[in-house]
Amino acid sequence: MKIADIKVQKLFQKTLFGVFCLFGIIGLSTSILLIYTVNDYLSEEYEDNSKDIAKTIADSSVDILLNRDLAALQSLIDQFVEIQGISYIYIADETGEFLAHTFVPGIPEEILADDPTSTETVERNIDGMGDFVEVGSPILAGVAGTVRLGMDTGVIALKVQRAIGRQLYLVCIIFAVGVVAALWFVKLAANPLRDVLAYAVALARDEEEEASSRSRVLERKDEAGHLARLFLYFSRGEALDDDAPPGSTGPAA
Amino acid sequence: MNRRSLILYGVGGSIVGAVRAEPAGSGVTDTEITLGMSAAFSGPSRGLGIELYRGASAYFQHVNDQGGIGGRRIAIKTYDDGYQPDPSVKNTMTLMLEDEVFLLFGYVGTPTVTRVLPMLKKFQDRNIYLFFPFTGAQPQREPPYGDFAFNLRASYRQETAGLVDNFVRIGRKRIAVFYQADAYGRSGWAGVRAALKRHGERIAGEATYRRGTKFTGTMRRQVEILQKAKPDAVICIGAYAACAAFARDAVDLGLRVPIANLSFVGSENLLKLLTEEREESRQYTDLLVNSQVVPSYEAVSIDAVREYRDFMRHYDPVAPAELVKEAYSPFPHSFVSLEGFLDAKLMVEILRRLGDAPSRDALPRAVFSVKDYDLGIGEQVSFGPTRRQGLQRVYYTVVDEGRFVPLDDWRERFA
Repeated sequence: MKIADIKVQKLFQKTLFGVFCLFGIIGLSTSILLIYTVNDYLSEEYEDNSKDIAKTIADSSVDILLNRDLAALQSLIDQFVEIQGISYIYIADETGEFLAHTFVPGIPEEILADDPTSTETVERNIDGMGDFVEVGSPILAGVAGTVRLGMDTGVIALKVQRAIGRQLYLVCIIFAVGVVAALWFVKLAANPLRDVLAYAVALARDEEEEASSRSRVLERKDEAGHLARLFLYFSRGEALDDDAPPGSTGPAA
Repeated sequence: MNRRSLILYGVGGSIVGAVRAEPAGSGVTDTEITLGMSAAFSGPSRGLGIELYRGASAYFQHVNDQGGIGGRRIAIKTYDDGYQPDPSVKNTMTLMLEDEVFLLFGYVGTPTVTRVLPMLKKFQDRNIYLFFPFTGAQPQREPPYGDFAFNLRASYRQETAGLVDNFVRIGRKRIAVFYQADAYGRSGWAGVRAALKRHGERIAGEATYRRGTKFTGTMRRQVEILQKAKPDAVICIGAYAACAAFARDAVDLGLRVPIANLSFVGSENLLKLLTEEREESRQYTDLLVNSQVVPSYEAVSIDAVREYRDFMRHYDPVAPAELVKEAYSPFPHSFVSLEGFLDAKLMVEILRRLGDAPSRDALPRAVFSVKDYDLGIGEQVSFGPTRRQGLQRVYYTVVDEGRFVPLDDWRERFA
């Protein structure tokens, strides 16, 4: 092997591999954490908002219901169903009869089979429509009926996906910057080492001319300089003098 | 937003007696009274707005030709809302606050009108009233918004009650409802429900569709839902495009029961869709029964009908070209344009009762002074503080030889 071919490849590879691993772990762990955090947060927020909306409708419905004006009631829920995430709303009277709803082409079997006067929060899958979180609110303490509305969990999933996408985008940028920075730092560390190695090999092979051409490493004040001087000491059996001026312990000129 | 101000100037009238102008912003000048109208001039229900406008225009043009009201011609400022609530609200804001029209006239649709009513209450200090909307829903007939509107036509409650009573009378008690998923559909649904309750029955089945559905859309899923209920009759509360699609798919899927439609449907447009370019069209129309809130335009023995036919032929009114962006072939006569004509006729009578100095705050008094007024259709019109609807009668029509004719015998037709 020629001295000029000496490279510090393994050190670089290991460092790069380490960077990959580190960022992989960071990316994966933050994404998982983000999924749970965002999902929990959004689900909770959506559920709370849904309950607030259901309560608002319930409070607004009292007079309308007492006036038996179902057209106004329908108009009211039609306005709320335009809010993003709300997929359906229905209002049942105290006997469970549906008085107004927003379903097309009809009330799904899954809802018909359930108790429309319940105010429990349920997760529901409706055939052909999707998955929903359904909340309820009583009208006039339930004696006038119940409002129930379904929030599309697909909207929450979409928001989670978007948040994760943004997070991964950020991690990728940091990763790319990290790789470039790592390469640069590795190069900074590898160059003196390569010089020391080349100098040591020249000494070992007793190639004085080659060693002389690489003697600049002896002038370094860092670990590379110390190592080079150590190699020179071992090769000549001279006393090591750290305080010697650069070049004073170099090979015989 | 599409807009147009149509000033219905006649050709022979001269401005006489215009002595006092109302304050600026009242919609009345020495020469003109401006009415504001927001209706469907585009979209699948455009036929309703266009025909209503044409019928009203025929009468207003006649009045303008005669010199107007106290020398003031009648102008209609029109906007297109496409039968959608939000544009309707915006148009109303413009009419009230920018155009400052004298009153609102001839709005089309329940989902639109129910959203406009709260605005009238909000701006009640301006005394803006809505006259003769093309809807039979309850909100503009009852508190808290009833004070801001005056209706001419019978209500959906009356129409649905009549249909249910007649179906039950001939033994068709299992009645299903096909309706538009909005305030209009709910209004009709509630009417059917209440009428059936009086007979000890319940709605046998129900299916809905989205407002704005076109005739080319499918209603097979809705038909299948209703077929499961095994109904004796179906009452449709919708607009003509969707109801025609439903009637078509019902026949195609073997649901052979009477299919009833309310007056709002726009009977001629419905019939046109079901018969145009269609062989064996009779099977799609022979079980139709449509309720109407005005008499048949074929009944030339009725004074107002003769007048209507004369004016429509003479003036051949057209809808504002700027608003009608899609192709539309108007009908020489239709139930909707006849209703618009009668609306205009009563409107003119009320404006006349305001005297030489029309003002908005005098409008209720002028309306309530209408007692047993003969509109020319054989039914007296009366208004009062607790009576905000002029006509009560409902007519029933079926298709015979390609046109809607009065239904005389329910049992013979449908039993």
